[in-house]
Amino acid sequence: MTFRTRLLLIFTVAVVASVALVEWLVTDSTRQAFERMETQRVNGLVAQFRKEFAQRGQEIVRAVNGIAASEAAVNIAISADYSPYYNEAASLAAAHGLGLLELVAGDGTIVSSAEWPARFGYKEEWLAEPADWEARGAFLKREELPDGVTVSLVAVGTARAGDRKLYVAGGQQLDREFLSSLLLPEGMRVLLYRNLEARFSPAELVGGRADDLPRVRTLIEQVQQRKREIGRTLGSGSSAETFHALPLTGYQNDLLGVLLIASSRRELVELESVLRRTGVGVAAAGILLGIALSWWATARVTRPVQRLAESAARVAAGDWGATVESSSTGEIGQLARAFNRMTRELVAQRERLVQAERVAAWRELARRLAHELKNPLFPLQITVENMQRARERYPEQFDEVFREGAATLLTELANLKQIVGRFSDFARMPAPEMQPVNFNGLVSETLKLFEPQLAQARVRADTALDPQLRPVQADPEQMTRVLRNLILNAIDAMPEGGTLTVRTSALEGGVRLEVSDTGQGLTPEESSRLFTPYYTTKTHGTGLGLAIVQSVVSDHQGRVSVESAPGKGTTFLIELG
Amino acid sequence: MRLTLSPWFAACSLALAALAAATASAATRPHYGGTLYVEVRQSFETPDPPTTGYGMPDLARAFVITRWEAGRRAVYEADENTAGGRPFLDAVEIEMGRPLRDQSIDLELGKADVVELGPSELRRQPAGRRVWGSAPVRLVALVFGPRVEDARIREALALAVDRAAIHNVLLQRQGEVSAALLPQWLSGYAFLFPVVADAAKARTLVAGIPAAARAISLGVEDAAARPIAERIALNARDAGLAVSVVPQAAGADARLVEVRIGSLDPAVALAGMAASLGLPEPPRANSPEALYAAELALLGGFRVIPLFHLPDVYGVNPRVKGGPGITPLGEWRFENLWVEGGRP
Repeated sequence: MTFRTRLLLIFTVAVVASVALVEWLVTDSTRQAFERMETQRVNGLVAQFRKEFAQRGQEIVRAVNGIAASEAAVNIAISADYSPYYNEAASLAAAHGLGLLELVAGDGTIVSSAEWPARFGYKEEWLAEPADWEARGAFLKREELPDGVTVSLVAVGTARAGDRKLYVAGGQQLDREFLSSLLLPEGMRVLLYRNLEARFSPAELVGGRADDLPRVRTLIEQVQQRKREIGRTLGSGSSAETFHALPLTGYQNDLLGVLLIASSRRELVELESVLRRTGVGVAAAGILLGIALSWWATARVTRPVQRLAESAARVAAGDWGATVESSSTGEIGQLARAFNRMTRELVAQRERLVQAERVAAWRELARRLAHELKNPLFPLQITVENMQRARERYPEQFDEVFREGAATLLTELANLKQIVGRFSDFARMPAPEMQPVNFNGLVSETLKLFEPQLAQARVRADTALDPQLRPVQADPEQMTRVLRNLILNAIDAMPEGGTLTVRTSALEGGVRLEVSDTGQGLTPEESSRLFTPYYTTKTHGTGLGLAIVQSVVSDHQGRVSVESAPGKGTTFLIELG
Repeated sequence: MRLTLSPWFAACSLALAALAAATASAATRPHYGGTLYVEVRQSFETPDPPTTGYGMPDLARAFVITRWEAGRRAVYEADENTAGGRPFLDAVEIEMGRPLRDQSIDLELGKADVVELGPSELRRQPAGRRVWGSAPVRLVALVFGPRVEDARIREALALAVDRAAIHNVLLQRQGEVSAALLPQWLSGYAFLFPVVADAAKARTLVAGIPAAARAISLGVEDAAARPIAERIALNARDAGLAVSVVPQAAGADARLVEVRIGSLDPAVALAGMAASLGLPEPPRANSPEALYAAELALLGGFRVIPLFHLPDVYGVNPRVKGGPGITPLGEWRFENLWVEGGRP
């Protein structure tokens, strides 16, 4: 990953994180504000509903008191025989808009019942209890009806005639009809759970939808346990509703029902959704803008660094004169200037080094030439001096001395010629002529040529040739020369005799050639300088043999290396292909 | 046990006297004319007018049917050749299927001359209203179907019913409370059948019975009798029975039925009632003791629970003269009636 990409990534992450944090903070604070507003709205609606509920209770109280104050009620109260009035409650209830009405004698005996006409003569024990029913107003009561038990909102009035009195107990069932008659604000609905069974009974949930049951059950059970108002938001999305569950207690403080006032959160959810979408849009735009700015800033920051890196790469590739243009005055500018100084220094040092190496090479060449030429020159000088001495002192032997001296001179001149030829060969190394070469055959043939020399030097030649080796593209003549040089080098390395081992092994599309000796080995310093032209550890030789090996292998796009340690012999490894 | 026979003989004497008076006066009967407008609750949907039973079939003695609209209207005209002599009335026009409340209103408005009066309507009649009443000749009873096999349930329901409350309030003390098939005035021993409710004993009886077996449907076809059935259901609930009132008698576990006494002869009346109620035919009884034993045997399994004996009660327009127009058994005797003025 480039420095520019990494920097851009860091900037992008920073921008995204910052925008997301700001977006979250803004959204959360806005949502909380809306939640507070929603809570206030719901509380207002609940209060409005309570008022409506209380008003309905007051209407019932008015109707009941109206009946109690009517002439019909007084007539019943003073009647000695209640039997003619057993059907009176139904007509009175219908006339006053009450769903439930019972006329009860002072001793608690039912005179007439609108909701259950057959109950005449039965006792309403709770009415006979001492209580100020008028002061109590409307209250909730568990009501038994022919088709079951229900919860009702009732009030009790009393018709008095002298010492006789008639209770008028009337009201409305808290059923679906009652709930639907309540004036509810927009977005609000009311459910009623009648707490008539010991356990939760789905049949007692009035006014709900089919999907309400599983949602409100837990809420109802909590109210049943705690007997206090509980508020919860149930559902999700635009179908979510805020439920206020109010315990409905009877006149004996027993829990008769749970009133569930549900307020839709649709508007709030939609508003929050709009806010969220807007926030996401703004955040996305901010992030895109941030990324664009980051891109620009990154490019601006990394451009000098990139130039620096490119220049460094050019230097590494050998272009020592590479420089960096920078107009910056900051750290990057200082770095660019330092780099330019460094490359200038490197060029200067390199030139100095080349010059020094050139001088050293010339010196080495001169030393080598002097050394190589000195050996044949000394016999030449001795031979010429012998010939002069023989002419002056022993003229009779001059011819013989001349013949021997001429032969010696010719031999040494041949040596000189050979030395000059080697130097000439190294200077004029030809380009390889590539063709498929069987290296196993090449090794065998070359070793055969050296058999007399090996025998003379008491060196045993071993081979380990890979039969799987296939012909490899190479110049056979140059590779023979390489192998010859390495064999000669090995023979020289084992003056006391030893073992020469030549191995071949197949590489993928190439060959690995190893030439090992069991000589004294090389020091690390000798190993590092081994392929330097004119360098030799021997007392004779031009120091060009291994340089030629390296030159040939390099021309074949191969690699040559040496593994050696003092006392453990030396192995040359050549890899081609 | 010795039983008094005086009510039995009194009823027979009453019937014979009415028959003798009608026969003696027929020859000298004047022709007053007029049409008598009668309203009844019952509706005959048959193609032809009924020829058996009470009410309209009784008119065949002195009138002939001239118009028949099934379920709505029937017109009878005086039979000039009747054996007892032509009736005073020219015609009797009967409107069928009229609710009791509407009949009472029609009587009040003068649209009808003779109407049936139920307990509530009877209570509302103005003072001085002329009313014809028969002896208690209609038996109201609970009849169990074969599905209610457990006699404990039947007995429990018999014990649970508070007859007195129903009689006092719903029937406005009309007729009499009874646990016997034959009324006291006819048999003289009806008081021997206990009528007092005992809910505690009823609860004990059904205590060991599974809840499913304690659920009974009570069929009531007559809407006027439904309040009685509702009250019975409430009483049954106190005894641990779940009685549900249904409007169809067919298929119900029990029915609330009304049966008329068909004869002034107690033995014949008992046999007729047994036949009507699906009870076995009682042995012919030649003495009150034997009759009591036969009735006791009929009621022994609680297949039938007698509740009340009710009279036929009619409200009569003041312009109707003569009468009474019904016998103690509730039979119509309109041939001795006449009306003043024209049609109201």
